[in-house]
Amino acid sequence: MPHIDTDIKLDFKDVLLRPKRSTLKSRSEVDLMRSFVFRNSKQTYTGIPIIAANMDTVGTFEMAKMLCKFCLFTAIHKHYSLEEWKEFAAQNPECLQNVAASSGTGPSDFELLEQILEAVPPVRYICLDVANGYSEHFVQFLRDVRKRFPDHTIMAGNVVTGEMVEELILSGADIIKVGIGPGSVCTTRKKTGVGYPQLSAVMECADAAHGLKGHIISDGGCSCPGDVAKAFGAGADFVMLGGMLAGHTESGGELIEKGGKKYKLFYGMSSEMSMKKYAGGVAEYRASEGKVVEVPFKGDVEHTLRDILGGIRSTCTYVGAAKLKELSRRTTFIRVTQQANPIFDQGDQP
Amino acid sequence: MPRVDADLKLDFKDVLLRPKRSSLKSRAEVDLLRTFTFRNSKQTYTGIPVIVANMDSVGTFEMAQVMTKHAMFTAVHKHYSLEEWKLFASSHPECLEHVAVSSGSGVADFEKLTKVIEAIPLIKYICLDVANGYSEHFVEFVKSVHASFPNHTIMAGNVVTGEMVEELILAGADIIKVGIGPGSVCTTRIKTGVGYPQLSAVIECADSAHGLNGHIISDGGCSCPGDVAKAFGAGADFVMLGGMFAGHDQCAGEVTERNGKKVKLFYGMSSDTAMKKHVGGVAEYRASEGKTVEVPYRGDVEDTIRDILGGLRSTCTYVGAAKLKELSRRTTFIRVTQQHSEVFS
Repeated sequence: MPHIDTDIKLDFKDVLLRPKRSTLKSRSEVDLMRSFVFRNSKQTYTGIPIIAANMDTVGTFEMAKMLCKFCLFTAIHKHYSLEEWKEFAAQNPECLQNVAASSGTGPSDFELLEQILEAVPPVRYICLDVANGYSEHFVQFLRDVRKRFPDHTIMAGNVVTGEMVEELILSGADIIKVGIGPGSVCTTRKKTGVGYPQLSAVMECADAAHGLKGHIISDGGCSCPGDVAKAFGAGADFVMLGGMLAGHTESGGELIEKGGKKYKLFYGMSSEMSMKKYAGGVAEYRASEGKVVEVPFKGDVEHTLRDILGGIRSTCTYVGAAKLKELSRRTTFIRVTQQANPIFDQGDQP
Repeated sequence: MPRVDADLKLDFKDVLLRPKRSSLKSRAEVDLLRTFTFRNSKQTYTGIPVIVANMDSVGTFEMAQVMTKHAMFTAVHKHYSLEEWKLFASSHPECLEHVAVSSGSGVADFEKLTKVIEAIPLIKYICLDVANGYSEHFVEFVKSVHASFPNHTIMAGNVVTGEMVEELILAGADIIKVGIGPGSVCTTRIKTGVGYPQLSAVIECADSAHGLNGHIISDGGCSCPGDVAKAFGAGADFVMLGGMFAGHDQCAGEVTERNGKKVKLFYGMSSDTAMKKHVGGVAEYRASEGKTVEVPYRGDVEDTIRDILGGLRSTCTYVGAAKLKELSRRTTFIRVTQQHSEVFS
């Protein structure tokens, strides 16, 4: 008989953080920088651990240029050519320590990855991203990459449960991407019924990873700065954002005008749009597992970054964390039935 | 691992009041006046314990004049000058026992507060309002204000949990403002993920305060008279309203027209609008934590007051409370999944 886990797994929307006594006087006192030493690469990281997702509309070189000014990180999408990488590296050497080169498990992906890392040695991070991190094939691929690049820090995923986090860390990954289906343009849960509520996934996976001195990224499901704070509070070492960084000047894709309003396209990397662009279409045996949406144009990403970082600083003062590092230790989640007062949600903004 | 409290916390929308047998014949018999003696100031209060919020769009002198007629209370916002206070005090002395003067924890705020209180001795209430009542800095500030004004009744907040209610009462506050993020123009929960469902916060904080002979204000989250009744039922001694009093003649700001309809501006005190108006903009290290909205113009606040008080009286008759004082003792909340029929809404 199928087994049902009886305890309810939670999403960001199901909780709020309980405020706690605090000796901080101002949000400006909060330190959002973190330093990590990675388990397998032995490399050191210092920065504000927020990552732009390796989606072709978000993980762009333009985004990386702006994010590295704020000490944030960018997982560059895998569709740039070697030449484009070389040009970026030559013009923006200061950004290279805050970017990762991405790859899937295909041979052509891996070849390009090898060429990039050889041509641009200051790139120290590899992001190995597949839809289903549970396959043996992926574990074997990860082992091969680790053998080939023993000193690079490897991000790998996506998974949502502790035992697979452990397996990937023991197979050579340093940072595990956690999240199946939470993203705003992801339809995996609809198309497959598979998934795991993000807050519970992060709590369980962080626990498993930290036991082995590994790290995790909460990947997907954040729709506002409060969600980012909750992900850190739940134990995520890094938080990866797609939709929240979409629609900006620095995002990929053309600006569209419709009815006097400006939009940018944003889509999942398994959407029809994306598969047509890069693989000539959705293969017959597959369903598209992503949406295509037009998001309102939000201007320069700098404003959004200030909003996110200001929000997290405020969270830290509410729970009495002087550093982002202390946030999860100071976190008690309470279960709730609604987030914010919905009275003025529609149509009242001037 | 971070902790998750297993029991679900509740908002006003999650409950209704269970009706109970009642010997009341008419709503007119219900007495909404309450009398309190405050723990630290030793002062006595009598009135209908509904308070207009200290937001610059609603906590105005014009609002205070109408509220006074109904024995209701106004926390006047902190942006009036000393001169404006003096003018108000001399032209409306009858209002002074029903208003509080507000202040944040900044030095300039406290200086002005001191001047206003010294110039107008008839003001007996001080409202100390910061976004995060959990900071040690704020506790110290409450202590020093109580030391400066030992006979003034101090409202202080905002907090949402019992241990901090106790701390502020022991530091010298009489009435604790309860609520983080429930307001209609507050975005704290979106921007920070921090907050506490208002009904549970009121139940837990009232319990803590009453144990020390302190009092609480349920501040924020009421969107209709039924919510006000639920807040009192949950144990709130006072209920503070912002959005429900927005959009009236007595509110600050001009009536404008949008798409042929009359509207007034209403905004949170940490919104871009408020920060631009009062401190020249949002500081670089901060995010704005409030919305700006246009609410339909609603005319004179008198009609809204009648609607709220009439609703409260009706609640009391449904649960058999002859006085507002009895409401929380007569309250049984039942958990629900919707408030009312959605057919014509």
